[in-house]
Amino acid sequence: MNYTNFNTNEEFFVDMQRCIGCKACEMACAECETNGQESMIHVNYVDRASTVQTTVQVCMHCDDPVCANVCPADAISKDEFGIVHTANTERCIGCSNCVMACPFGVPKKEENYDLMMKCTMCYDRTSVGKKPMCATVCPSGALFFGTRDQIHEMRPNSTPVNSFIFGNETVNTKVNIMMPKGSTELIIY
Amino acid sequence: MKNRTFNTKALLIATLLSIFMIVLVFYGSRKLQNFDAALITYLFGTVFAFFGIVYRYTVWLQRPPTWIYFKRGITYLVTGKVFSHFWFATKETVENIAFQKFIYPRGKYRWMAHFMIAIGCTSAFLITIPLTFGWIHFTMAPNSISVYEAHFFGFKVMDFRLDSIMAFLTFHALNWSSYLVIFGSLYYLRRRLTNPGLIATQTFEGDLLPLILLIAISVTGLGLTYSYQFMKGFAFDFLAVLHAVTVIMFLIWIPFGKFFHIIQRPAQIGAHIYKKQGMKKGMAVCPHTGEEFTTKLHIDDLKIVTKELGFDFTYEDGTSHLDLSPEGKRSRLAQAHLKARQAGGNLFG
Amino acid sequence: MAKLPVSEENIIAHFGPHKNYSPKEGYEGRDEPDELVKTHCCFCGMQCGIQLSVKDNKVVGFEPWMEFPFNEGRLCPKGVQRYLQNNHPDRLLSPLKRVEGQGFVPTSWDEAMDKTVSEIKRIQEKYGNDAFSMLSGVSLTNEKSYLVGKFARVALKTKNLDYNGRLCMVSAGAGNKKAFGLDRGSNNYSDLEYAEVIIVAGANVSETFPTLTHWIWKARDRGAKLIVIDPRMIPLARTADIHLDVRPGTDSALYGAMLKYLADHDMLDHDFIDNHTSGFQETLDAVKDNTLEWAEEVTGIKKEKIQQAAELWGKANTSFLLHARGIEHHSKGVDNVLGCINLVLATGRIGKPYCGYATITGQGNGQGGREHGHKCDQLPGNRDIENPEHRKYISEVWGINEKDLPGKGLSAYEIIEAIHRGEIKGLLSICFNPLVSLPNSNYVREALEKLEFYVCIDFFLNETARHADIVLAGSLQEEEEGTTTSAEGRVIRIRQAVTPPGDARTDTSIILEIAKRLGVKDKFTYESSEAIFNELRVASKGGTADYYGITYQRVEDEMGVFWPCPTIGHPGTPRLWEDRKFKTPDGKAHFNPAPYRLPGEVTDEDYPVILTTGRVVSQYLSGTQTRRIGKLVDQFPEPLLEIHPNMAKQYGIQQRELVRVSTRRGEGIFPANIVETIREDTVFIPYHWSGKKSANQLTPGTLDPISKIPEFKVCACHLEPLNEIAPPSSESKAYASV
Repeated sequence: MNYTNFNTNEEFFVDMQRCIGCKACEMACAECETNGQESMIHVNYVDRASTVQTTVQVCMHCDDPVCANVCPADAISKDEFGIVHTANTERCIGCSNCVMACPFGVPKKEENYDLMMKCTMCYDRTSVGKKPMCATVCPSGALFFGTRDQIHEMRPNSTPVNSFIFGNETVNTKVNIMMPKGSTELIIY
Repeated sequence: MKNRTFNTKALLIATLLSIFMIVLVFYGSRKLQNFDAALITYLFGTVFAFFGIVYRYTVWLQRPPTWIYFKRGITYLVTGKVFSHFWFATKETVENIAFQKFIYPRGKYRWMAHFMIAIGCTSAFLITIPLTFGWIHFTMAPNSISVYEAHFFGFKVMDFRLDSIMAFLTFHALNWSSYLVIFGSLYYLRRRLTNPGLIATQTFEGDLLPLILLIAISVTGLGLTYSYQFMKGFAFDFLAVLHAVTVIMFLIWIPFGKFFHIIQRPAQIGAHIYKKQGMKKGMAVCPHTGEEFTTKLHIDDLKIVTKELGFDFTYEDGTSHLDLSPEGKRSRLAQAHLKARQAGGNLFG
Repeated sequence: MAKLPVSEENIIAHFGPHKNYSPKEGYEGRDEPDELVKTHCCFCGMQCGIQLSVKDNKVVGFEPWMEFPFNEGRLCPKGVQRYLQNNHPDRLLSPLKRVEGQGFVPTSWDEAMDKTVSEIKRIQEKYGNDAFSMLSGVSLTNEKSYLVGKFARVALKTKNLDYNGRLCMVSAGAGNKKAFGLDRGSNNYSDLEYAEVIIVAGANVSETFPTLTHWIWKARDRGAKLIVIDPRMIPLARTADIHLDVRPGTDSALYGAMLKYLADHDMLDHDFIDNHTSGFQETLDAVKDNTLEWAEEVTGIKKEKIQQAAELWGKANTSFLLHARGIEHHSKGVDNVLGCINLVLATGRIGKPYCGYATITGQGNGQGGREHGHKCDQLPGNRDIENPEHRKYISEVWGINEKDLPGKGLSAYEIIEAIHRGEIKGLLSICFNPLVSLPNSNYVREALEKLEFYVCIDFFLNETARHADIVLAGSLQEEEEGTTTSAEGRVIRIRQAVTPPGDARTDTSIILEIAKRLGVKDKFTYESSEAIFNELRVASKGGTADYYGITYQRVEDEMGVFWPCPTIGHPGTPRLWEDRKFKTPDGKAHFNPAPYRLPGEVTDEDYPVILTTGRVVSQYLSGTQTRRIGKLVDQFPEPLLEIHPNMAKQYGIQQRELVRVSTRRGEGIFPANIVETIREDTVFIPYHWSGKKSANQLTPGTLDPISKIPEFKVCACHLEPLNEIAPPSSESKAYASV
C-alpha cells in the first residue's frame, strides 16, 4: 500500500497452550494505530467452570479468506503480503456475515459503529518492519512474531502448522499454530 | 475471490436500462427542445456512469451473499404488514442514508465532515443530473421580467421573483454544495495525511484521489461562478473544460472506486431488515457457550452461501462448524489444540 | 480528628477512583512523541523495561523496549496500561486540607507545610518523639526509600517507621537472613532456562508476575518439569507436570514430608551439606514424623503426588525453587520459607549455573526498598539498627550523634495497633494504603479515626488518605529520577519522563522541605536524586546489600547492575554463592528446623470454611493506581468468591449468586464464581478492592512472630447465600466501593 517495508521473513506463530489469559495482548492491541482504542484480538476462557484454560486468537489471514467471500459488500480484501484487511469503512454494511462465517471466530462487529473490524496484523507496524503489538508484549510466548529459524531454535520439539480441518473444509492460513513435532494439520472436532 | 470478470446478464440489464434512460432523456426534455447542448459532454458522462453503475450493481447483486440480503430485504418489504415494513425502511433510510448516524459514534467531526460532503454531493446531483438531461429548465414567466418559472419534465412546478431569497438560493445552490464538499473533504484529507493508522493502510487511488477529485470539482465549479461574477469571465473557458474533465472523471469512476459506496449503502438497511426478520424466527444458540449469538436465519443462510462459494464446514455427524458462535469456535480450536498437544506428549517445546 | 470530613460518596465524586480511558484514537501526539523515555514499569518486582512516549510534558503512550534483557519488550496488561495513570482526572494538583463538612479543599504549600510541621512538633512535645509515626512503601525508588529512612530517624527522630513491604516479602527476607545471612534472590532469572525441575510455591506467577512466565516456559521448552504448589489451579498449574493443591496454611507440612523423603531415600548432596551448611541434623529431626501419609492427612494432597514431586526434585541435576506471598503471608511465613530453603540446601543445588532459589518480590522496589531505609529494624545496606557497629557507621554517614539515632521501632501492623491503643498520636504516610492492604480493615479504620494528626503524601487521594488532615500532592514514579532494584537484585534506572503537573511536587522535594522546616536543613540538602544515590552508596558500603560500586552511569551503560557490588570495578553479582561463602557468622548456609504448626485460625463449627486471598492480573495491590485505569477495571470489575461446585452444592449456591462471607472480624457480600479449579474445602477472594468490597474486612491480623507479616492467606469463614443473583459484572461499581 503506501510506503511499505514489510518484513516477509518474519511470520506469526501462535501457541494457545502457553496462554495465561493475562490480556496484555488485548490491551496492547488497542495501542495499534489501525484500530483506535478498539481491541481486535480475542482472549477468552475455554470453559471457566472446569478449567482456567484460555485461548488467544489473532486473525489467521487465510489464503482464501471466508470472511471476504461471504461479504456482501466486497469490503474485505487481501493484499500482496497475504494480509487480510479490516472492513473498508465506506463499504461495510455491518451485516456480520464475516463474523459468523470465519472458522476462527475472529472478525468483530462494533455494534455502535455498525462496522466490522478485525486484526490486520498491526499493519501500521508490520508494514514498516516492526513486530505486531500483541506479539511484542505477550509475556508467555503464546504469540510470537519472528523468523522460522528463531522459532525452530527456541522450540525444537514443535512444528508450525498452518492447515486447519473444519469438517469437510481445509483452511490454509498465513499465521501458524505450534503443534507437536511432525504435525501437518490441526483437526477441529 | 471468485468473481468472474465478464457477466452477460449484467451487460444485458445495464444496456437495456441505459437505453431506457436515453428514452427518458428524450421525452423528459420534450424531444430535446429543453435540452442544453452545452451540457452534451456531461450527458455522455452521466449515461456512461449510469451504465457502469447498473452493470457493477448487477454483478454485485449476483454474488450469493449479496443476493440473499437483496432477496430477503425485498421479500420482507412486500409481505406481511407491508405498511409497518415500509415505515421501518423509511425510518432506517432517513437515519442511515440521509443522516449517516452510524458514523457519529466513530467520531463527531468525522460525522460532520461526511454529512457535509453527503449533503453537498446529493444536492449537486439533484440539480445537475436533471439539468443535464433537460428535465428541468427555467423560463421567464409570461408578462413579467422579474418572475422565473421552473419546469420539470416540461411541467411547471414553481415560480419565484428574481430578487427573492429563493432565487438567490436556487441559482447559487451549486456553490453552497461546493463549499460543503470542500470543507468536508479537507477535513478528511487532513485526517488521511496525519492519522498513522490510515497512512499505513490507504492507497492513493482508493482513498486520496477521490477526495482530491471532489475538491477539484468543487473548486473549478466555484471558479466558474467567480470568473463570470467578479472577474469578467477570466479563464472561463479553461475552467469550464477543467470542470467538465473532473466531473466526467468522477462520474465514470463511480462504479469502480470509492464512490460506489453511495450506491451500495442502502444494502445496510437490507442488513438491518434481515436481522429484524431473523429475530422473529428465533435465535441460534451456540452449542459450546450455550448462549444466543445471532439469528437462526443468519446461520442457515450462511451454510447455503458458504456452500455456494465452495466452502463446506459440515462435520461427519451432520452438524456444522458454523453452528458455533465466534467464542465457541475459538474455544473448540483451543480444545482441539490441547488434545493434539497432549497426544503429542508435551505441551511445550 | 480523622473521621471523614464529608461522606465517602462525596469524596469519591471529587477525587475518585474514576476510570480513565485513552481517547478513541489515543492521546494527541501519540504517534509523534517529543521523546521516548527508557524507564521501567511502576508496578511489580519484575520492573520490566518500557519506553514512555512523552508529548508536551505528558505521558501519551508507550513503546516496547526490546533491548532490556529481562523482558525484551514483553509486558503484562498493567504495564501496557500504566501510562494512563499520568494524565488522570483524579490526579492531585495541589495540597489539600481537610475542612469539616466541606471535604478536602486546596490550600497553599506554605499553609500545608506550616500545619504539618506545627502538628508534628506539638504531638512530639506533648507525647514524645515516638508518638509520631511514619508509614512508607516500596513503590518508592531506592533514593526515596533511603531518604525516608534517614528522614524518620534524623528529622522526625522517631523509631516508629515501617513500610508496606511488611505485607510483602518480609517472611522471605527473614528466612533468607537466617539461612544465608543475606536477603536477596540467589539467582537472576536467566538461571531458570536450563533448570530441570522448577518448583513454584505459592506464587501465582501468570497473574502477579506475568512476564516471568516467559522464563519458566523457556525452561519447559528445554524439557523442564514444573511443580506448582497452590490451593487453586492457577494458569501456571494447568499445564504443570505436578500440581500440589495444598490446603491453605499447611505448606510447611508438605516441605517437611518432602525433606524427610529426600533423606529417607538418600537423595541428598552430602558433600554440600557436610562442608557448607550447618543445622542439618536438627532440621531432619524436626521432620522425622512427617511421613507421606501424615502429609496427605494435613495438606490434603494425595501422597502419591507428594512422592512424585519429591522424586523429581531429589533426582534433578539442576533446579530452581521460586516462592512468593502464597507461602509468606502466614503466621508461620518464615517457617514456610525455611522449609523451602531446606529443600534447596539438602540437594546442594545453589550457587551453580541453572541451580537457583528466589523469592519473587512483589512490589516495584520491594527488593531495593527493603535494603536501605524504611524497615523498622534496619539501616541502609541492610544493616541492623540494634547493632552498635552498624549504628556507629550510619551515624557517621548522616553526621549525627549515635545516641540520637532511634532504635528498633514497631512494625507496620503494630503501629496501627499502637495507634488504636492511643500510644501513637500522629502519622505521616507515603506510598501506603493500609485501609485496603492491611488485614482486618474495620480495625484499621477505627485506628485511623483515633489519630490526632495525619498527613499523607500521595498523587491520588487513596482510601486511607480520606482520613488525613493534610494531603500533600506528590509525584508519580515517572516524575522523578532514581533507581530501583528488581526482584532479581538488578539495580536499574527510573527516569523522569515528565514533571509533576499543576502545583504537585516531587516526593523528594516534599520530604526535604519538611526536614528543612523541622530544622535539619543541613542534613537534607541534595542537588539531585543522583546525589542521594551517591550518599546511599556510601551508607550501604560494607553492608550485606553493598551498592558502593554502582553508579548511575554504570546502571545506564550496563542496563542494570546486580548487587552486591562493593567496588567501582566490580562486575556485580547476578548469581550468589558461587564461592560458597555465605554471609552468616559462621560462613555456612543454615538449615533451620521448621516443624509444622497450625495457622492462627482454624475452621470450626461456626466458621467451617477456609478462606484464602490473593490477586488478579489486572490489579495491583491496594488498587490506588489500577482501580483508576478503565480497561484494567473492566477486565476484573469486581471481586468474586471462587468456590468449588461441590461446596456450592452443599450450600445451595448458584453461579453469580450473592454470598455473605463472614469471619470473626467482619463480613462482605460477593458474587459466587463456581469453578472446579479450587480445593473443595477452600474459597478465594481477591483483595484489591476497598470498603464493603474489601477482602481484608475478613482477614486476621495474626502476625508471624519473626517477620511480623500478617496472615492474609488463611482464616476461617462462614458462607451464607442470599438468594439473589448479582447484577452483571459490567455494571459493578466495586472499583469505587465505599
